[in-house]
Amino acid sequence: MGDASGGSVEVYVPYPLRGLTNGVGTVELHAANLGQAIAELNRRFPGLAYRILDDQGRLRRFVNAFVNDEPVSHLSPNDVPLRAGDVVTILPSVAGG
Amino acid sequence: MAAVKKGDTLVLVGTRKGLFLFHSRDRKRWSSRGPYFEGDTIRHAILDPDNGKTVFAGVTSEHWGPVVARSTDFGGKWSIPKEGPRFSKESGISVTKLWQLQKGAEDDLYVGVEPAGLFRSEDDGATWSSDDGLNYREGRDKWEPGGGGLCLHTILPYPGDSKRMLVGISAAGIFATKDAGESWSMYDAGIRWYGKQKLYDREDLSTCVHKMVRDPQDPAIVYQQNHAGMYRRTRGDPAWKIIENGLPISKSTGGAFGFPIAAHPHDRATAYAVPLVGDYNRVTPGGAMAVSCTTDGGKHWTKMTKGLPQRDAWFTVLREGLRTDSNDPAGVYVGTTTGQLYNSRDDGNSWQLMADHLPQVQSVEAGIVGGR
Repeated sequence: MGDASGGSVEVYVPYPLRGLTNGVGTVELHAANLGQAIAELNRRFPGLAYRILDDQGRLRRFVNAFVNDEPVSHLSPNDVPLRAGDVVTILPSVAGG
Repeated sequence: MAAVKKGDTLVLVGTRKGLFLFHSRDRKRWSSRGPYFEGDTIRHAILDPDNGKTVFAGVTSEHWGPVVARSTDFGGKWSIPKEGPRFSKESGISVTKLWQLQKGAEDDLYVGVEPAGLFRSEDDGATWSSDDGLNYREGRDKWEPGGGGLCLHTILPYPGDSKRMLVGISAAGIFATKDAGESWSMYDAGIRWYGKQKLYDREDLSTCVHKMVRDPQDPAIVYQQNHAGMYRRTRGDPAWKIIENGLPISKSTGGAFGFPIAAHPHDRATAYAVPLVGDYNRVTPGGAMAVSCTTDGGKHWTKMTKGLPQRDAWFTVLREGLRTDSNDPAGVYVGTTTGQLYNSRDDGNSWQLMADHLPQVQSVEAGIVGGR
């Protein structure tokens, strides 16, 4: 479990969202949980949180998140603890037509 | 890329995979732009009728959420806001799709969303406010979705009166406000029960409205294509009136089936529709495409087929897939789910194929560059 300020983690930003990150695909930041990580992403790249979270603060229906290799999409982002060195991956679901 | 010039007719085609713009001086030779918003669904895009310059696009990414994008140079650059419309935390629901955009009577912008909701912007879509009177109306928990989802797909402001508006929600019904959205009442009396020769005798029963349009020459008159028939109503009428003489009748609903309806820009009592077989087979009857037209307020409908495919044309035209422009004679535009775009430049009397092999057409809109 990370502390309040959180350890350093790496967040992978998928290709469709890199228009908001000026092309950056990997972001290093400090966060104690996934909700904090997304908030920090949004601070650096305004608008990114809206693309990931729905009106209720949950991950959007077709957005997946992993911490290292563990799927955490079914959890509230604030309930997903992060530790220093964790790798967070945000991916679109394999869905659509 | 050909320059878009003042006086051009601009046709905005929203598809399952992006937005396409077509423009022309004479409506015979068209230049195209796009697609914009690759991979995203555009259920509706409009040219601001007040300035004839600003294009608004309702962009829905199934993965990454919906926003209303804006361009003032016909797609050269897009202004994409950081957020789209949102429901409140207390509501427990989230906006997933954008359906219809509409300019209001006060230079404001409205968007209808899924799950059904109405939002208003005073800054060209940068920020949105919820119409709480409708969005959190008592009884919303009983609203049922239609086949396309629980969507607010039709917004009809009343020209010159910002307090009045009608909206259509599939399949919750038709809602009317006279106080700028503070309160809403239902407006469904006269619609037939599915498959029965019996009409709703109350306003507050849900129906599956497919599309409504005002008569531009008398905006109190509204035409409605419903799941269960074609209707007309004007202020003071106690109920919707069936107007189906000349339209094919669906065996399932007992009424005329289809999705879109459009009004002529100048000729009073003139409207267009695209009949389909029925809800059990949502294709053009007999594989022959026709646009039906009434010039007497719905007393009679006649088929217009000249130039439209009369064999092997098995497709649907969705609820936003039919529009008129404001030229004289009027242009009429139809987009299909198989990617064809047809246009008429003589009030619908004859048609040409304007574009082919587009992604599934979700919406067609037309405007004049530089203003009305």
